[in-house]
Amino acid sequence: MIPMSWYLALSAVLFTIGVAGVIIKRNAIAMFMCIELMLNSVNLTFIALSSFFRDVSGQLFVFIVMTVAAAEAAVGLGIIITVFRNRESLDVDDASVLRD
Amino acid sequence: MSDILTFIVFILLAGLAIGSALAMVAQRNPLYSAISLIGVFGALAGLYLTLAAPFIAAVQIIVYAGAIMVLVVFVIMLLNVEEEVRRPVRLRYLVPTAVLLAAVLFAEAAFILFYVNDAPAPPSPLATAEPSTTGLTASIGTGLFTTYLLPFEITSILILMALVGAMTLARRTAARPQDLVVPGAQVLPLQMVEPARVGDDTPVRSDTTAEAARTLGLNEQEQTRE
Repeated sequence: MIPMSWYLALSAVLFTIGVAGVIIKRNAIAMFMCIELMLNSVNLTFIALSSFFRDVSGQLFVFIVMTVAAAEAAVGLGIIITVFRNRESLDVDDASVLRD
Repeated sequence: MSDILTFIVFILLAGLAIGSALAMVAQRNPLYSAISLIGVFGALAGLYLTLAAPFIAAVQIIVYAGAIMVLVVFVIMLLNVEEEVRRPVRLRYLVPTAVLLAAVLFAEAAFILFYVNDAPAPPSPLATAEPSTTGLTASIGTGLFTTYLLPFEITSILILMALVGAMTLARRTAARPQDLVVPGAQVLPLQMVEPARVGDDTPVRSDTTAEAARTLGLNEQEQTRE
């Protein structure tokens, strides 16, 4: 049986990679995907704890996190398309002012 | 025997997940990043299976790899994103800072993990008890429609809000008028002012239809008749 701490460590590693990606990446879509990675690593923690404590609540939380991620994907990609239409660029350095 | 098999599966899936995540951050082409992220999602779905959560594993594949990533890839191809160009970076120490901050975060997580490991073991570990029914669809459905009914309904409101928000954001706003528009006046195509000139889209600025016709010098007879 795999110890629970291994799953939690894997989740921490994935979350850290996601955080580093959000800081390093300059492309809006790539940053968006790094945020998805962070959400998934949290999901892994939820599932591991839920499975080891035999409590279904964690899996329901994952269900809701997935819904939030889907909503975030729809709205985030809408914002990205709008920014691209106004600036012809996906680089977040180009989108440094709020007007226009 | 089964333990060794589980161990090998875990190592393979964890390696696939970490490798794909690193590849995603390292790639410069967003499309390759997206494909690497699909690899992470697939590996995580496999890990959910090893954790006896088949329903969430299926939802992971359907929702994440199936819906969200298709949307992302669609947007990447719609916007025709090319590779990230190397340009003079404004924040030169970004990568070292990112790695440092990520290391600090990871150290914190590791500290908490090992601290928790000193705590008493979970009351009912999966290994000792009878097979778990926690991850099965029936128990998730029961929980979703009894204890967690209110969050479930709030989720539907959230989806509705996201739907409306995405449509509002992505709607193409009206083209900006090229010439000056006097407040209170309207710009009409000539076709609407003078029905005889079908297909003529010359813009006419006016307060009223008759005034537009007068501006253009059209329709003189009708105006005198009036």
